[in-house]
Amino acid sequence: MTAPQRVSTPMRRGLSSLRASGLMAALRVFLVYMAALLLQLTLFVEVRVVGVAPKLPALVAVLAGLLGGAQKGSLVAFGAGLMWDVYLPTPLGLAAVSFALVAFGLGSVTQDLFHDTRVQTALLAFAGTAASVAVYAVLGEVVGQRGLLDDDLLRIVLVSSAFNAVLSLVVAPAMRWALWGGRVREPSVDSPRAAARIGR
Amino acid sequence: MAVAQRSGRSRYRLLLLILTAVTLLTLDFRGYGPLETAQSRVRDVLEPVVSAVDVVLGPVAEVWTVMFSYNDLRSENEQLRAEVDSLRSADIRAAARDDTLDRLLDATGVTYVDDIEQVTASVLRDSVGNFDDDVVSIDVGHRDGVAPGMAVVTAAGLVGRVETVDTGQSTVTVISNPNLVIGVRLIDTGDVGLGHGMAGEQTKFVVDTGLRWPETGDLSELPAIGSAVVTAAGSRYPANIPVGRVAAVEPAEAGLVQLVTVDLAAAVDDLGFVTVLLQVPVDEAPIGPDSPFPEQSP
Repeated sequence: MTAPQRVSTPMRRGLSSLRASGLMAALRVFLVYMAALLLQLTLFVEVRVVGVAPKLPALVAVLAGLLGGAQKGSLVAFGAGLMWDVYLPTPLGLAAVSFALVAFGLGSVTQDLFHDTRVQTALLAFAGTAASVAVYAVLGEVVGQRGLLDDDLLRIVLVSSAFNAVLSLVVAPAMRWALWGGRVREPSVDSPRAAARIGR
Repeated sequence: MAVAQRSGRSRYRLLLLILTAVTLLTLDFRGYGPLETAQSRVRDVLEPVVSAVDVVLGPVAEVWTVMFSYNDLRSENEQLRAEVDSLRSADIRAAARDDTLDRLLDATGVTYVDDIEQVTASVLRDSVGNFDDDVVSIDVGHRDGVAPGMAVVTAAGLVGRVETVDTGQSTVTVISNPNLVIGVRLIDTGDVGLGHGMAGEQTKFVVDTGLRWPETGDLSELPAIGSAVVTAAGSRYPANIPVGRVAAVEPAEAGLVQLVTVDLAAAVDDLGFVTVLLQVPVDEAPIGPDSPFPEQSP
């Protein structure tokens, strides 16, 4: 009678601790994202280089894919894009799907790569932001939004990506904390090669 | 096995996200009310926080602006001084031109928004993204009687259309946005057509639908350069709001239609205050066989 209780209690504790850590991670990601969104809606309306602002919501999405892997990253990126869509004149869901696709792609491509140095993270943030802006513009034109694919696109892609690459030096540690707390990230659980390497 | 399952699961999850996005896009295109309300609520909830952060970070943004715009401001100041000098001399000519326009407007029975209730608003902020240069936020909303689709003007003329409306603020799509289609009337010829902004040109507007090129080839039937362009009766907006002046007329579509380029009357690149005309807007674009705006020119 008592034996099952002895077994189930630690299991329950483990499960509830897992749930709690998942919830805490979601809360931390939400906090980091809201800080990024507020900066985007206030400071970076004015602070621009050659008329182009950084794209912090895209940076959060890209870093989620990079640090969280394809599965977790695409989910975070979708939420980040959806929230950003609320403030954009383009249809709801456009930034969400763009960010999710880029985060998934980036998470899949980089899962077996080392990207632990700041320079590597910045370069990947540059590439990810460039991809997200380009995908957003192309999908926008596909769904009938005029003026996204024009002469300014290259300038917007280059400047916002460079801006994001620099800002990734600050945002990447925040996202690392948000996704993994104080823990070190496990070797890419989505990766078949990594899983084989660690014997799963 | 487990790895393959995980990989399949993540693809399945991505597919679900894409389907969700497609659903949202479809609902948004169809103007699904609850979705717009939900977005409006989110903005309403966040607005006090955004405003507070804006106040705190405002000085930082100003420092940046001063640091990187000093030369621009100085040259703009010099340019403004020169313009003031030229305006002094042009004052008399402008008065005469205004008189002519007034008489023309009187002759065509035009009254510029005399009978429409108005509310004045200040521009809160410019665009938040990199692709939406033609969108601004203003400090009036539902509580002031503003509704989506209402016309936004300045003393110079039409500047845009109210797009989204929250409790205390709204966004305005500016007339230079290529997606904003406006029914206009050319005062000189009386013809009506549909026009829109030109990508990358904040001072230009092009009327490219509904104006036939004279079949006889008589160029005197074309609108005169410099003649006025106003919103047409039957468009989404109140009639006879000044839009601009004709800058160029060219043939298009193998010489069958007119392509009329218009210099916008209102400067939309640096708006400070605007007026919203509280007239219930027409929802649908007035395109069709029974409307004054044919769907496409032959």
